[in-house]
Amino acid sequence: MKKICAVLIFVLLSTLLVSAGQKEYGKKITLKDKTKISVILNNPDKFLNKKVLVEGTILAVCDKRGCWMEISSDKEAQKIKIKVKDGEIVFPMTGIGKKALVEGEVQKISITKDDAIKQAKHEAEERKTKFDPSSITGPVTYYQIKGLGAVITE
Amino acid sequence: MKWRRWLRAIHRDIGYILTGLTVIYSVSGIAVNHVDQWNPNYIIEKKTTILKLDNKDKSSTQSLVNAIMYKSGEDEILKNSFRPDSNSIKLFTEKHNITYNITSEELTKEEIKGRPFIKESNYLHLNTPKKIWTYVADAFAFGLIFLAVSGLFMVKGRNGMKWRGTWLTIAGILIPILFLLLYYY
Repeated sequence: MKKICAVLIFVLLSTLLVSAGQKEYGKKITLKDKTKISVILNNPDKFLNKKVLVEGTILAVCDKRGCWMEISSDKEAQKIKIKVKDGEIVFPMTGIGKKALVEGEVQKISITKDDAIKQAKHEAEERKTKFDPSSITGPVTYYQIKGLGAVITE
Repeated sequence: MKWRRWLRAIHRDIGYILTGLTVIYSVSGIAVNHVDQWNPNYIIEKKTTILKLDNKDKSSTQSLVNAIMYKSGEDEILKNSFRPDSNSIKLFTEKHNITYNITSEELTKEEIKGRPFIKESNYLHLNTPKKIWTYVADAFAFGLIFLAVSGLFMVKGRNGMKWRGTWLTIAGILIPILFLLLYYY
């Protein structure tokens, strides 16, 4: 029994040591070359449904389920949303401010004005920020990355 | 009867094994049940103050970063910064996420801490690790089914399934049925 306990403690400690520094989420990253987020956002249709590897600082994370995060672009005032299926990957809120390397597919999302208002209202509630529905004047199209795998570095 | 003695022994030992997991799943169950009222994983502390900066401080991103770090008394190491727009800046230090609005001069310091034990419980309960844990969780579920069914036959006579046990079991089954009738159908 003592030996079993010792082995269990050793395995636990080893796991903690290995996980310090960087942590992997979802599938293993397969791409080698990174694509700059600014390049994707300048011509998103070129990358539509294609797999990309991007890197940026985590700016925000879904505080309820960790089902999305926003990462900064290489250019100021630009960011992109990484969306994952609920429960498939859970991004940690403590990852905000850390570097994330993400592999995923570029998606185009087109939504009606009503849906855009609902979505923005929901996001504002999550972030506890103010939202003015009149700021959305028509249907909205945006681009995001469907996250498949990520590595978050301390 | 001999089989009842065996059943009790197995029920007891499986009960011991599943105690830790039952506590973890129950605590997490309560925590995520109230996801609309609180954040089950994190404690988020936000503090907003006014930080006056002069025009020289606001002249470039770097001077803004330096001024905010120095004048707000932030003593943690700066990890990253980002300008979401020309009117604001975000600074990320070891401990804080700082947002500064240049026009309103509002500075918000946010600290995010994991809820001890509950965050880990949710991690396991919601099967975030997946892999082998999925099968551990399945085994736990089967263990609970075994405990529930074997529990029915632990006691003989009127306190068992001959009277009390049957009525209380029926009452227990009626609870979810009642709520399904109320909310689902």
